[in-house]
Amino acid sequence: MSELAYYVYCIAENAAAAQLPAASLPAAIEDESKLEWVVSNDLAALSSTVPRASYTEESLAEHLSDASWTAVRAMRHETVMEYVARRASVVPLRFGTIYLERAGVERMLEEKRRELAQIIERLRGREEWGVNVYCDQTTLMSSITSVSPVLRDLVDRAAQASPGQSYLMQKKIETLKVDEVRAALTRIIDEIEHELSQQSEDAKRLRVLKVEATEYGELKAKFAFLIKRADFETFRDAAERLAQTHQATGVRLELTGPWPAYNFTRID
Amino acid sequence: MSFDIEQLDQADLSLLETLDHVLNRGLVIAGEITISVADIDLVFLGLNVLLSSVETAHEVLRKRE
Repeated sequence: MSELAYYVYCIAENAAAAQLPAASLPAAIEDESKLEWVVSNDLAALSSTVPRASYTEESLAEHLSDASWTAVRAMRHETVMEYVARRASVVPLRFGTIYLERAGVERMLEEKRRELAQIIERLRGREEWGVNVYCDQTTLMSSITSVSPVLRDLVDRAAQASPGQSYLMQKKIETLKVDEVRAALTRIIDEIEHELSQQSEDAKRLRVLKVEATEYGELKAKFAFLIKRADFETFRDAAERLAQTHQATGVRLELTGPWPAYNFTRID
Repeated sequence: MSFDIEQLDQADLSLLETLDHVLNRGLVIAGEITISVADIDLVFLGLNVLLSSVETAHEVLRKRE
């Protein structure tokens, strides 16, 4: 028999885990294995065995550079997480938390008992939602004159100036437009962050993985919000209002979720 | 075979988002075998590799349905 290791997905209260028997859970990260709860006191870690040989530090480094290997396993990890997070308050762990033995998982639960319980409590009844902010640069550029007071003023003055002066002012307007577009976008994104932070319990600005064109324009900002389930409608309404307000400037909001609370697991 | 980001549909984009969540977020508890952050970033390094992996993930998910 080949040697095994324990891959851990998330941690829940034992009482909640008991309501989610292993047989009812989605498939594990590796085909040959089943999910199981490893229990210590009042906490339970959802885990499954993996072949130790594929999950050593060296072979993991190699596997991770094979993106298809990683993508398939990350998707399975996510499927498991989503199933459990809809039914219990859980601490999602980062991909690749691995112990050599079952006893190692139990030891971890024991050692981190207090902080894990704290996170579970903070996440109870809450979900993570993502907001992506896209901007269509062309639309923003063509609407910037009406958005920026400085530009509007210049345009008005150019209209009344002599042809020579007007020409010079037009030149200035074109140069200013680029700066004003950047400033307007920053202002809009700050407003979105501020408004939606007020409708949520916690907010986090995330890094944009790569700037690429989509049908909505370029992705300019990404946020994660922690929201009580009962407050979600209010949050969504606020997001929709913001989307309507900024639609004419080429800014679009995309709401994603609910996610397991991956971005809100820090220990206070 | 190469992929172009503009050929990505909405499902592909949400798959990218999912990968970002699972690989880069979540509580970090040092297990007995640890993956370094540099290794994780490697996954996001090559766009072509990533997009071909997106295809693979779709295939796997389809088979499981």
